Amino acid sequence: MSPVRRIAREEWRALSRDRVAMLGLLLLTVLTLVAALNAAEHRRTADAERGRYQSQANDEFANQPDRHPHRVAHFGHFVFRPLNPLAAFDPGIDAYTGHTLFLEAHRQNGANFGDVRQSSLLLRFGQLTPAFILQVLAPLLLVFVGHNCVTRERESGTLRVLLSQGLGSGQVVMGKLLALLGFAGLVLLPALLALLWLAASGQAAWAPVLVLACAYAAWLLLWSLLVTLASTVFRRGRDALLGLLATWTVLVILLPRGVSDLAGSVVAMPTRFENAIHVEREYQALGNAHRPDDPKFAEFRDRILEQYGVTSIEELPVNFKGLVGTEGERRSSELFNRYAAEVFDLQERQNHLVDQYGWLSPTLALRRLSMTVAGTDLASFRHFLEQGEQYRYDLVQRLNRLQSGEITYADDTDPDKENRISHAHWQAFPDFHYQPFPVDQALRRAAPAGAMLLAWLAALASLTWLLGGRLGRAVR
Amino acid sequence: MNADTGNAVTASAVDGGVEAGKGAGNVLEASSVEAGYGERSILRQLDLRIGPGEIYALLGGNGAGKTTTLSLFLGFVEPTAGRVRVDGFDPVAQPVQARRRLAYIPENVALYEHLSARENVAYLLDLAGQYEGDEAIDRALAAAGLQGSAFDRRVGGFSKGMRQKVAIALALARSVPALLLDEPTSGLDPQATSEFNRLLDVLRDRGIAVLMVTHDLLSAADVADRIGFLDGGRLLEEVAADGEDRFNVRALHRRYAEQAA
Repeated sequence: MSPVRRIAREEWRALSRDRVAMLGLLLLTVLTLVAALNAAEHRRTADAERGRYQSQANDEFANQPDRHPHRVAHFGHFVFRPLNPLAAFDPGIDAYTGHTLFLEAHRQNGANFGDVRQSSLLLRFGQLTPAFILQVLAPLLLVFVGHNCVTRERESGTLRVLLSQGLGSGQVVMGKLLALLGFAGLVLLPALLALLWLAASGQAAWAPVLVLACAYAAWLLLWSLLVTLASTVFRRGRDALLGLLATWTVLVILLPRGVSDLAGSVVAMPTRFENAIHVEREYQALGNAHRPDDPKFAEFRDRILEQYGVTSIEELPVNFKGLVGTEGERRSSELFNRYAAEVFDLQERQNHLVDQYGWLSPTLALRRLSMTVAGTDLASFRHFLEQGEQYRYDLVQRLNRLQSGEITYADDTDPDKENRISHAHWQAFPDFHYQPFPVDQALRRAAPAGAMLLAWLAALASLTWLLGGRLGRAVR
Repeated sequence: MNADTGNAVTASAVDGGVEAGKGAGNVLEASSVEAGYGERSILRQLDLRIGPGEIYALLGGNGAGKTTTLSLFLGFVEPTAGRVRVDGFDPVAQPVQARRRLAYIPENVALYEHLSARENVAYLLDLAGQYEGDEAIDRALAAAGLQGSAFDRRVGGFSKGMRQKVAIALALARSVPALLLDEPTSGLDPQATSEFNRLLDVLRDRGIAVLMVTHDLLSAADVADRIGFLDGGRLLEEVAADGEDRFNVRALHRRYAEQAA
């Protein structure tokens, strides 16, 4: 057996007698399993619930009686965002964003009913998910278990004995690292099994599951390197522990939190109310699409008359009210989309700023990668909103076209007529089906964060190699 | 003859070098070595040569540079000048090769407390690539004088003497050409010291070069072939054993006391 493996085996033997290590491992394993089961159950329940509600909303929309199409447009429709299967592993920002959109004419509503707004304050503190446990708690356990892997030898005097057997100091450090990696593997195992189960049961694609597995393995490798390095550099175990706890606090807690706050102050976002006021002001300036004689639509009317070669709207072969509704919806949607895009662009600028700090805190890089691959990041949420908006726009415009094609202008302007059309029209409308990002696209978006993690790994591995090789020189 | 000690002085570092040990080649060799920690100079122009089957005792007061001399051969301290060799290997440039030819027993023998005597030796032999089964280990432990009932006991409860026996057993099992001992008899009672010195006789008979740094003049006089006096990082004087009485202990003691003063 090679000296590196022999040292690792002996370190394992020492770890197996270490109550803190064994109890910590047991606790973390139980926590991860409970979190995985809980998250999977939550996802299953939420998904079933949303599916049921979606089906109910589809039925209610389709089963409207014969009525005026514009009433149908104002009756509205609900669409629900299905949960990505990997949200059970990393819910990302899902708990903070809404998952229900109410679609109606002339309005672009935001998503509602985020879990956080409906839950206790405990959820705001942090959800107990496999991702949270691996990102936050697992490094802490590695710190407590491994901080003295080399300092213990130094403090007890056995380091000199080890080295005097003809070992290279790099071999000693590698042996310690290998043992800690084995321990980290056990820490990762429950989450890994949960991930593999998601893929094997056909709920999630293999590619993102494998990427997540590799990313979290890299994350624990990174911490194993950091812990071994600190234990190599510090003379006393107590100093290594303090140094590592400080590092954990900064990298895992303070920097991610501080950088988010910093991004919020550097790239300021308008409040929801400010935005609503601006939108409403511009919306009013667009004209009232319910009134065909609104002066804001005069130019549009002239163009239509010219297009059809007639001189009055009464002569048009189509219902001008429906055309105005179509034009009004086009204008208002452009306005809504512009504001929505501005807000999303600001949020993406904030995210981009936060992402750049991934070079300083690998936690940020891992979170970005994990959320992106799990489909629970901002881009995925935006993707849902944009699809919902496209569905809303198509739905309202279909109804506007029905109004202009199926009802005459004369009837439509007669207050004594109800102008109902057959419900068969909206029964034929397609249902909303959310299409998540294709896997390859999600993986491509996660690549920069992956590169940051790899850079951290390379830097720490080099440092460990360099300083570990000098271990013998530091022994007195 | 040296008037002060009544023993043959083979050479003085001050006078320009020490003669080689009694073997044909030197196992441990330091030539004009300067070394220290940072700005602090510890060893000055140290010349030391120890041949196979020779026991060399290096005496000196606190801070004389005794432990630094051991660290020099272990490659833990890099000389700023001069040359150090362990069986022909440079401990700084070739630490692994040099350490493979050394066994080292520190003042307080550090062992793995949760392992038994046999497991400690097995583990360290395995790391040195010299594990040849438990029988060989048992033979080494017995040769080192450890009682059979202690082989499977955890070393956490061992006395200093028992720990040293485990370390000696490791050195015996490794068949290394050189052994470094740091204050081996400090804290041992006279009987344990005598037992330890007889063990060193065994090592000498096996052709192992032994360098022991010690305060224990009587033990050094009992077992060493040569005794060197180190002061302020300089090897001031060397005395070789001579005749049946080996050393004039009274003269050595006076010399040592003068130096310490």
